Amino acid sequence: MENMQQPILEGIDPEIMDRVVSRRDLFRRGASMSRLVAQGLAMGSVPVALAAMAREVYAQTPADILDVLRFAFILENLENEFYKAVLGTSALAAQNNAFAPVRALIPAAARESLAQIQKHEQQHVDFLKAVIPQFGGTVVNITAADFDFTGGNGSGTGPFARATTELPFLLLATQAFEDTGVRAYKGQAGRLLINGNDNADIALESALRIHSVEARHAAKIRRIRRAANPSDTSLRFSGYVRGGGLAAAGAGNIANPPAAVVAALNLIYGGATPESNTSHVVFNGTAAATIDAATLSGLDVIGDQNARTVAATQAFDEPLTKEEVISIVRDFIKDDAARGLP
Amino acid sequence: MRKQDADQDEPMVIGSATELMFPATRRSFVRTLLAGGTVVMLPSVFGACERREITVPGFDPDTDGPDPVKGVSFDLRSDVGIFRLVHANEQLEAAFYTAVVSSAAFSSFTAEEREIFVDLRDTEVVHREFVRTALGSQALPDLRGSINMTTLNSILSSKASIIAAARMFENMGVAALNGAGKYLQDARNLLIAGKFVSVEARHAAALRDIAPPAGVNANTAFAGDDIIDNTGRDVKLEAGAVVARVAATNLLLPGTLASPAISNGPTATQGVATPDFFPANP
Repeated sequence: MENMQQPILEGIDPEIMDRVVSRRDLFRRGASMSRLVAQGLAMGSVPVALAAMAREVYAQTPADILDVLRFAFILENLENEFYKAVLGTSALAAQNNAFAPVRALIPAAARESLAQIQKHEQQHVDFLKAVIPQFGGTVVNITAADFDFTGGNGSGTGPFARATTELPFLLLATQAFEDTGVRAYKGQAGRLLINGNDNADIALESALRIHSVEARHAAKIRRIRRAANPSDTSLRFSGYVRGGGLAAAGAGNIANPPAAVVAALNLIYGGATPESNTSHVVFNGTAAATIDAATLSGLDVIGDQNARTVAATQAFDEPLTKEEVISIVRDFIKDDAARGLP
Repeated sequence: MRKQDADQDEPMVIGSATELMFPATRRSFVRTLLAGGTVVMLPSVFGACERREITVPGFDPDTDGPDPVKGVSFDLRSDVGIFRLVHANEQLEAAFYTAVVSSAAFSSFTAEEREIFVDLRDTEVVHREFVRTALGSQALPDLRGSINMTTLNSILSSKASIIAAARMFENMGVAALNGAGKYLQDARNLLIAGKFVSVEARHAAALRDIAPPAGVNANTAFAGDDIIDNTGRDVKLEAGAVVARVAATNLLLPGTLASPAISNGPTATQGVATPDFFPANP
């Protein structure tokens, strides 16, 4: 646990702890610093202090925060175990073996990029594992055995099975996982916005900072795919998502994609607010307004209306709801409702 | 500081507007003003000020010509105030990429690089117009007349400096939005920030992928250890640091931003500041 807690220490300024714990709450509420909080601060261990604070000062963390963090924990484990299987570093030999054929096809440069991505997913798992208890929650134990990367809900023969033998298919699946992650975090951010709650602020900022890392990953995978298919301009060198549904996936280089994969990609880039959406709601403190980014004035330099609409779709990444994300990932996770796995 | 105090005793004499283009003169000018000193402008200065030459491509000074703006400040106690700062960044980015795509250096770009920069321009122009529309009467004035052409032309002189500047802009955009999210008070506005920030992160990754900063592994630069911390979290800056970095680009004419540029920081109810994480050369 010690090395798991260490990174978080660097993420939270002791001054904030002082402000949050000592001044605002403990003194104002007339409480004395508890032994555990004091010990935590004395050790310089922010996680311990924060854990104590979360329990003792706030008494309870809003359920939304814990629910979001637990949901993120499942998704990060899914991604992390997927990359470990691809790279051959999974604790489960069967998964390493399953991806052995495609692993041999991954160029060294791309392999190094995938290893960097996997490193981040592991860090996200460790971060969430350390943070959830601080908010008073418990972490379920999730292992490689909980996942079926073919999307077969445990059968091992799901529609994404070709990712274990075909490199273009593997990279499409990788991109789909990353873009799902980006959209999932985006959709949950609002639940972490609890005005006046410093715990929520810390969770929100961390979620945003993980969210943009997933976007960097997705952009890199798109660039790798484009380099292998230079004429496929639906995959942008800029790493953008253009349009919505299947078109946004850039699956043109996949021969005869299974119908279930096409359906999955339509979900991953579709949904109630599909990636092709150009209308967005803003609130100016008094009233809400819906603005269509494709028909703004001042877009002349971009070109004709078609070009402007394309630009408007790529300029905004869109969210997925929790329910939409679950419908996408549930077949990659073996059912276990008792542990909260969908 | 002592040197500044000494400067105050003697009035500073400016003979022509061109003198203000020299960084040393300009610094001294601003410093003298900030210190409450006296600046003497000879009549020759004003003769040259009749018509400012603005050559930002895609921008016609005769029809849209905004005058240089002075004293822009940000009150971050509301979502509107926070988005005004976003508007400043998006305006600078859009003006920069518009200039890049029209620059002489652009013809030396590879097809891949040209595609990336046209995508960047289009996206930032959409962001700029979207935020302007969203802010309505609270929108910042048009900053295109406030671009420091000396700095801009210097950046546009080579592909390497263009890409380095673009990397700074995009990573700063990611860091600024990541740092600002916790202060927003309305979930709809937070969602807009979220829709922007992942797009900025895609740009940043692509730019670092085609031209990694010195010393960064080319295969991992897209999300390198210099921009992702050891908890797997991306760059992040508080607003004060964002404004300081915008000023440091020297792309805005001196005086465009008020001093201090942030009139009011976020309140404690909006959120608490966290340590910044951002490399010198992103």
